[in-house]
Amino acid sequence: MVSLSVSDRATDTATKPAGAPRLPFRLSPGARAALPLLGLLAVGFLAPLLAILAFSFAPPRSFAVLRAFSLANYAELFSLSNTVWLSFLWSIGFALATVVLLALIAYPIAFGLTFVFGRWSGLVSVLFVFPLFVSENVRLYGWVLFFIKNGVLDGSLKALGFSGGPQVLYTSGMILAGMVYTYLPFMLFPMTLGLAMVPRDLIDAARDLGAGRWQIWREVEVPLAMPGILIGTLLTFVLAIGAVAEAKILGGQSVIVISHDIEIAFTYSQNWPLGSALAVLVTLFIGTLTLLALQRLDLDRLLGRR
Amino acid sequence: MSISKPGISRRSVLQGMAAGLAVAGGPFASSRAFAAREKELNILCWEGYNSAQVLDPFRKKTGATVKAESLTNDPTMINRLRAGEINVWDLINVNNPWARKVMAPEKLIKPLPIAEFEPFFAKMLPMFKWPYKWAMSDDGKELLGSCQRFGPYSFVVNTKKISRKTAEETGWDLFNDPKLAGKYGILESDDWNVFNIFLVAGIDPFKTHTPEEMAKFEETAKRVFKGAKLIGDIAAMNQALVSGEIDLHLTGGTYSVSPARADGYPELRGITPLKGPMAGGKGGISWIEVTSTVNNPNLSPLAIEFLKYVQAPEVAHTVAFAEGTFNPVAQMGNPDCFKLFTPKELEAIQWDSLDEEMARSVEYDIVPDYDKALDVMNAAKRVRG
Repeated sequence: MVSLSVSDRATDTATKPAGAPRLPFRLSPGARAALPLLGLLAVGFLAPLLAILAFSFAPPRSFAVLRAFSLANYAELFSLSNTVWLSFLWSIGFALATVVLLALIAYPIAFGLTFVFGRWSGLVSVLFVFPLFVSENVRLYGWVLFFIKNGVLDGSLKALGFSGGPQVLYTSGMILAGMVYTYLPFMLFPMTLGLAMVPRDLIDAARDLGAGRWQIWREVEVPLAMPGILIGTLLTFVLAIGAVAEAKILGGQSVIVISHDIEIAFTYSQNWPLGSALAVLVTLFIGTLTLLALQRLDLDRLLGRR
Repeated sequence: MSISKPGISRRSVLQGMAAGLAVAGGPFASSRAFAAREKELNILCWEGYNSAQVLDPFRKKTGATVKAESLTNDPTMINRLRAGEINVWDLINVNNPWARKVMAPEKLIKPLPIAEFEPFFAKMLPMFKWPYKWAMSDDGKELLGSCQRFGPYSFVVNTKKISRKTAEETGWDLFNDPKLAGKYGILESDDWNVFNIFLVAGIDPFKTHTPEEMAKFEETAKRVFKGAKLIGDIAAMNQALVSGEIDLHLTGGTYSVSPARADGYPELRGITPLKGPMAGGKGGISWIEVTSTVNNPNLSPLAIEFLKYVQAPEVAHTVAFAEGTFNPVAQMGNPDCFKLFTPKELEAIQWDSLDEEMARSVEYDIVPDYDKALDVMNAAKRVRG
């Protein structure tokens, strides 16, 4: 993060002789250098968010932004008859399950990359990064071709004389599998970074002092790697709660997730204010969660500044 | 991530934002206000008109910068104009009722010169005989758009699993058959799904519905969505039909199934039911695209030129077989255009039954209580899982 300080005005005025022209406000060189970026963020990041916020208070199914004020969209979302909470629950459930599964899957791989694979770890890392070069939708359609009836798996098994492959497409289990597959790198690499911060000396010292493998893992390895694990967890949770392609392509919309509900509001329903209100609620939920997690996380330490 | 030292002020942020806005907005503001638009054309359309096959020859001929954005539902496109993009677009290509029933009354489009376009209608298929209802204003005095692609659009079956005869005779009741649960898909085309859920419930979609009819609609929506193997786009439906995952799918026709038929699966076929609950006992619905000039205060002169350009036999044939989906075009009434279609292409667009299917269909229309029905249907989708 760029330091956005201005010179300390209290000190300035105290040391200046009376009558000298006061500089009421002066940006530090760092802040001045950051201005273009701030401008870009204001236009590209803040402005759309503000537009969404403004739209969420417009009357339902209208375009009267800032011309009329209404809480009807929020009332609609919180009304008892509205079932949008189902989509929200599905998204949270999928995101939590994805995070837990990924933590279990990625930890051994991250451990291997850090402590075991040695000179092969570079190649293994590349193998995990490689799928990111291909569009997510294309990869998911690839999985459909693999699992579809008479597709790669089913067709091959039939050709070999078996009764055929399992019918897993268009189920919630398949959606979860797709999410775990898609977000693996986002858990793996922060976790690897976390584990790389664990000094070998400490592990050796713990072992010399009689700690067992389990105790070392619990009391040395995990606490020291925790910033990386938390960042991976947060990153995958935030990405997974907004995931929609897996539910659409692999799940055949057997489940409607919250991002899909937002999409429907903006397209077929043509209810931009309702979609905006829903987007605001989801953003608030994720934002609160992120801030809470970041309070427990010291980025400076993770990045090795102190 | 905390800001380590205090100091950034509200004023500096606002100054930064203002500078950023000026930099970002400046070029657009000036180009909108001052640029002449002789060499610029922006088209909002269904896919096909945005393809290089259609646009490149026009770009070459005029030396113009032509931009086309394709969307796959009418309400979104019309709302883009309502939301203030009337200054951006020159042409809008949507289905039949919107021009005369919505866009003209709301002054989102402007009329075409009748003298220049009437001769084109004379060369179209007989159903487009002048004055063609959907191209004209309500009072019949103004021409609101030009016509090209059209087709019947009800549902699609694999005729190796369900014969064409059975499908046409049983009609929408196929989706009420408990034996077919888990064997059908639903195309993700929600405006059409509203029509079709009404039809499966035995109710005419194009009228205002009673609470009892809405209750029947809700029950049908829940049941039909629950029984669907998958919901997806055209590619997903055709893939599932070809692989045998499903035997039929709700909402579909020439437009959706023609790519699969052209790929060598003629057993997949758009079906128009023989009878149904709509006006005249008709069971199918058809669509006809109407392309209009947007009521842009600074309309590009190329808009009219483009509408004339796509009427030429070769270009009309290209539009019919542009990437994505293949469709019949009104210009097939002109022998010079019709002769460009190969037998295989005619088979892909079900030319053999096109006339009878169009005759058995009512034309796409606006559902008065669409918003309510769509909300009910979306809620029904949520309880699938």
